[in-house]
Amino acid sequence: MVVRSADPKAGVAKLAMETMRSEIKSATSSMTSVPKPLKFLRPHLQTLKDTYAKLKPGENKKLLADIISLLAMTDAPIDDAMPESLKYRLLGSNEDIGTWGHEYVRNLAAEIGTEFHRRQDESAKEGKDADVEDLMGLVSEVIPFHMKHNAEPEAVDLLIEVERLDLLAPHVNEGNYARTCLYLFSCSSYLPEPEDSEVLKVAHEIFLKVGKLTDAMRVACRLGLQDYMEKTFLASKDKLEKRQLCYMLARHGHPLRLDEGPCEIEDGDELEELQIIMSNSNLSANYLTLARDLDVMEAKLPEDIYKTHLMEGRAPAGAAVDSARANLAATFVNAFVNAGYGQDKLLTASEGDTEGEGASSGAGSNVSWIFKNKDHGKMSAAASLGSILLWDVEDGLPRVDNYLYSMEQQVVAGGLLAVGLINVNVRNDCDPAYGLLYESVNKENSSVRIGAIMGLGLAYAGCQKEEVQELLVPVVTDDSTPIDVAAFAALSLGLVFVGTCHEECVQAIVQALMLRPEKDLEDPFAHFLCLGLGLIFLQRQGEVEATLEVAKTLPPRISDFLQVTLEACAYAGSGNVLKVQALLARCGEHPELDGDDANEGADSESQEWKYDPQSIAALGVALIASAEELGSDMAVRAYDHLIQYGDAAVRKACPVGLALLHISNPKLNVTDVLGRLSHDSNEDVAQAASLALGIVGAGTNNARLASQLRQLSSYYYKDPSLLFLVRVAQGLVHMGKGLLTLSPSHSDHSLHSNVALAGLITVAFAMLDMKHTILGKHHYMLYYLFVAAQPRMLMTVDEEGKPLPVAVRVGQAVDVVGQAGRPKTITGFQTHTTPVLLSAGDRAELATEKYIAIASVLEGVVILKPNPEWIEEKE
Amino acid sequence: MGANQSGLGGPGGPGGGPGEEKKKEKKKWQPPPPPQRVGKKLKKKGIDGATRLPDVAPASKCLLRKLKLERVKDWLLMEEEFVTNQERIKPHTERAADDQSKVDELRGSPMSVGNLEEIIDDNHCIVSSSSGPEYYVSIMSFVDKSQLEPGCSVLLHNKTNAVVGVLADDVDPMVSVMKVDKAPLESYADVGGLEEQIQEIKEAVELPLTHPELYEDIGIKPPKGVILYGEPGTGKTLLAKAVANSTSASFLRVVGSELIQKYLGDGPKLVRELFRVAEDMSPSIVFIDEIDAIGTKRYDSNSGGEKEIQRTMIELLTQMDGFEARGDVKVIMATNKIETLDPALLRPGRIDRKIEFPLPDVKTKRHIFGIHTSRMNLSEDVNMEEFVMAKDELSGADIKALCTEAGLLALRERRMQVTHDDFSKAKEKVLYKKKEGVPEGMFM
Repeated sequence: MVVRSADPKAGVAKLAMETMRSEIKSATSSMTSVPKPLKFLRPHLQTLKDTYAKLKPGENKKLLADIISLLAMTDAPIDDAMPESLKYRLLGSNEDIGTWGHEYVRNLAAEIGTEFHRRQDESAKEGKDADVEDLMGLVSEVIPFHMKHNAEPEAVDLLIEVERLDLLAPHVNEGNYARTCLYLFSCSSYLPEPEDSEVLKVAHEIFLKVGKLTDAMRVACRLGLQDYMEKTFLASKDKLEKRQLCYMLARHGHPLRLDEGPCEIEDGDELEELQIIMSNSNLSANYLTLARDLDVMEAKLPEDIYKTHLMEGRAPAGAAVDSARANLAATFVNAFVNAGYGQDKLLTASEGDTEGEGASSGAGSNVSWIFKNKDHGKMSAAASLGSILLWDVEDGLPRVDNYLYSMEQQVVAGGLLAVGLINVNVRNDCDPAYGLLYESVNKENSSVRIGAIMGLGLAYAGCQKEEVQELLVPVVTDDSTPIDVAAFAALSLGLVFVGTCHEECVQAIVQALMLRPEKDLEDPFAHFLCLGLGLIFLQRQGEVEATLEVAKTLPPRISDFLQVTLEACAYAGSGNVLKVQALLARCGEHPELDGDDANEGADSESQEWKYDPQSIAALGVALIASAEELGSDMAVRAYDHLIQYGDAAVRKACPVGLALLHISNPKLNVTDVLGRLSHDSNEDVAQAASLALGIVGAGTNNARLASQLRQLSSYYYKDPSLLFLVRVAQGLVHMGKGLLTLSPSHSDHSLHSNVALAGLITVAFAMLDMKHTILGKHHYMLYYLFVAAQPRMLMTVDEEGKPLPVAVRVGQAVDVVGQAGRPKTITGFQTHTTPVLLSAGDRAELATEKYIAIASVLEGVVILKPNPEWIEEKE
Repeated sequence: MGANQSGLGGPGGPGGGPGEEKKKEKKKWQPPPPPQRVGKKLKKKGIDGATRLPDVAPASKCLLRKLKLERVKDWLLMEEEFVTNQERIKPHTERAADDQSKVDELRGSPMSVGNLEEIIDDNHCIVSSSSGPEYYVSIMSFVDKSQLEPGCSVLLHNKTNAVVGVLADDVDPMVSVMKVDKAPLESYADVGGLEEQIQEIKEAVELPLTHPELYEDIGIKPPKGVILYGEPGTGKTLLAKAVANSTSASFLRVVGSELIQKYLGDGPKLVRELFRVAEDMSPSIVFIDEIDAIGTKRYDSNSGGEKEIQRTMIELLTQMDGFEARGDVKVIMATNKIETLDPALLRPGRIDRKIEFPLPDVKTKRHIFGIHTSRMNLSEDVNMEEFVMAKDELSGADIKALCTEAGLLALRERRMQVTHDDFSKAKEKVLYKKKEGVPEGMFM
């Protein structure tokens, strides 16, 4: 037939070729071996090519080109030339691409990719645009074929290769949008910088096209672009859907303005309702519903958490330990455990009993516990009231009000902090927090000022409230304010304007850093000034460059530190490998101390600050890697090496970094490593590891971790500071009686809340310098954790917003990207009735078909509507 | 574990000014050494888990997978860079060598081997030495306690009998014998016909090991095992050899009867060991020849030997599809009596594919004759077609025997060529021998 095809007579040649074609097409064989006809024809490839060259143009020539194209598939590609298969395909008759089978199309797609790059390289050398017109023609044939045949990943791959993702959207329909977008979404975390947002934008477009607005909103949040969010919101015509979008935005901590601007809503009632949702005002109510449903309303005492009776051996004897520390620990444990419940047994219990007698006597007995603490302890004790009344603005504020007029400055400061805590993540129309706090910002007493400033930062975290800026900028820039007050003001600014690159705040903090005398910069709180600046640039990646340049000009004492902080913050969650590399290199340095005899006590003490940037660098590795799973797994490995080789400064940051990678997610291997580190001979490392254990297990009620901590507490029974930290960690593990999570990621780990991350970073920084912060007078910095606290619930509500119990399956999430068919998304599930708790790595799906969820990811509050196709089964 | 910590923590403390006071305070109370964990089980998951590379999710070839793998590679490169830099700055080996010599000193020599009977507390245990008596001895701090478990062999100090080391629990020598180190010479080309069977076994055994993504693409789990059955001499073992020849996976071969052991419990233990080794060396293929030796149907039996054999089979059942997932371990079994095998052994999930080896048909026979005679000196008059077309039931092995016989006949007559006559005689002989022993007339 090969000979025949060269026959001069057109008819004969055509017949020969037709036979050849049908032979090839009909040949089926196992996937392992090459089809027979191909095997047979292969040696004749060259002959056919020669024939082709000789043939006159016409139908025959095209047919032959097709055949050669197919045969050339088996040939090895030659460098620096157009792949044969592709070449002949372009020359051949442009008939339907699918007729030659899947394998052929796949091969073609691969060749298009390489050819595209080759041409681009070539034309780049000549400095003009590549001519890819013919390739694009082919691409537009391949794409529909892939999309139709369940090969969405391949279609996407090809389009990414040739940089024409815009071609994708028209081919996506109801059937394959989910798989396509899931693939796009997971690709985006691994693509280099400009491409990733490109991919996300396409996904957004597709979701909008198929009307999956909740998904579109997720993508928009991931992009972090205001106008995309607005566009999504405007696209929604359905009332329920709008509400669901509001719930999502509220969880993400990124509210839109509904009363004005592009998203303005005319209808007054609806506006109000949406605003209530958006401002999280019903968070407290929902949380309490959850608690009531799970029957955990009863307040717990710190002793219930310590469970000393379960400890074997030495229980921490009361007398031996610093009793003030013990009381302080109890305060914190109480605050964490009963967070958000509005009642506890230390501070508010008596209030309930004596309700009839009025608030004054109730307040009297509260005060008694607060006054059991020593001076600065009182501040934390008073502030703990705020955490107990977390989110409950309406009822909470009056109860805190008493303390604001107390004689003791510390109590007043605590009260102010409590006001901030109550308003954390909740926005109220009348802005009670601002009203209560702004006066105290400029008071005489520095603790009162700190309380007020911190309160403001907590209450308006992520709000970008201009008034706060106006109030706090002078505090930061004023030389005469004590450094700690200025530092807290900077932190608050960082929290309020997190990830915005707000011009004035940046200038204020930079100015403060420049003008402050050297001595101030030596203070540990100078670090928090830097952190405040870092938070403003959180996740802004390249936009930090200008400020980085400025940072280089600062005094050496702070310059390095600021640079590392800025980089770590700006690239947090980006997974940028180059940055990680730079940070690791920094961790690997062993800076030589100046002076001849570095080991001499006094000398090395004054030089110790040189190590500080290294700690931050070690922490930065975790920050950058935290966004995606692969990176965080690999970062754990990197920490293994850091622990082994690093200096003391690096090693003490390791547990903190590990904790940041696994917030509220007590994986066995991490708790193991941290457990080992908590017995470390270096005190700093042990301290950091103890508290890190708490953060890793925050709000999980993890029994294993609890017993590990109990052991630790009997192990350190004589060391008051470590014991204090272990106690706090115990409190954290049982945070909100196991109903809360600190994890900044939500919606299936695809989104990360900036605000929550900011709070966590702040605490992480504090953990690097325990002596001056948490173990010193500023233990209330622990309250920054509450910025990240969210109930880890799935709550289903009906169209009216009332809780609606339905059956859901909760199980471990499975990564189903790029898998064939309809794989199960969860494994090892159990069926529960909502509201339910979701732990890290869990996913939920509805178990009944009676309702349809409006959101695609079941987390937080989800609105259900009845399924119109549901038919009640009759018995 | 415990020993390392003191070594690492050392350089951490250029304490400085206020450290002086603190140090005094610290002298008073030193935290006790961290609690140890004893036993192997814990170690297996905890430590390995921390250092294992994460799995990369979609197994199919796509850009996402490439990107993910590249990301992993980047991280690994960074680790490498970091570690090499550190090593350059602070050579680790030197320190390690120092420690090692110290440990050696403590160990003393000669050492003796003992058996760990029982662990009393963190630092003490009871050992029995090879000579008989049991001792209550201390465990040296540098011994990896996570590897100690009752029953393992330990190194003992020559005088104090203190435990100074753990001997790695070696793989059963029986199992190591089973490993096929040298690939057999037979390849697929030596198999006459059996094209379907080859294809099936390739799909079931080889492809899952080489291209797992093909199965994932289509969304199925690859088969775990196959059984080859058919009349004697149809090429079951030959095909298994060909698989071993062509694959790069480690190949373990056992004969069913090898699994029957003298002592109670040894058989199942051997099976366990076999699969453990297979998993350690995965991807691997386990080939069990003549499975009917242990895999016969279960029935009530009073003989202890029978029971033991059945227990061995039950162990095999759970190893093949039990609670614990087997990774890349494929099982090939061969038997010529499939009807006697226990149905539990043959159920899908354990054996997903049953491949029958029929007697060769005419075409195959011709092929087999071709293979066997290709290296023989044949005279001109040999007409193979006669034998090929004959109606006698000839298996592959018969044909081989026939050819050999013909060759021998020629040798007997000192001819350098094999004639057609030789073949005819040889055929008669072979066929006669085949029917020998079967009482004639029973089928007549």
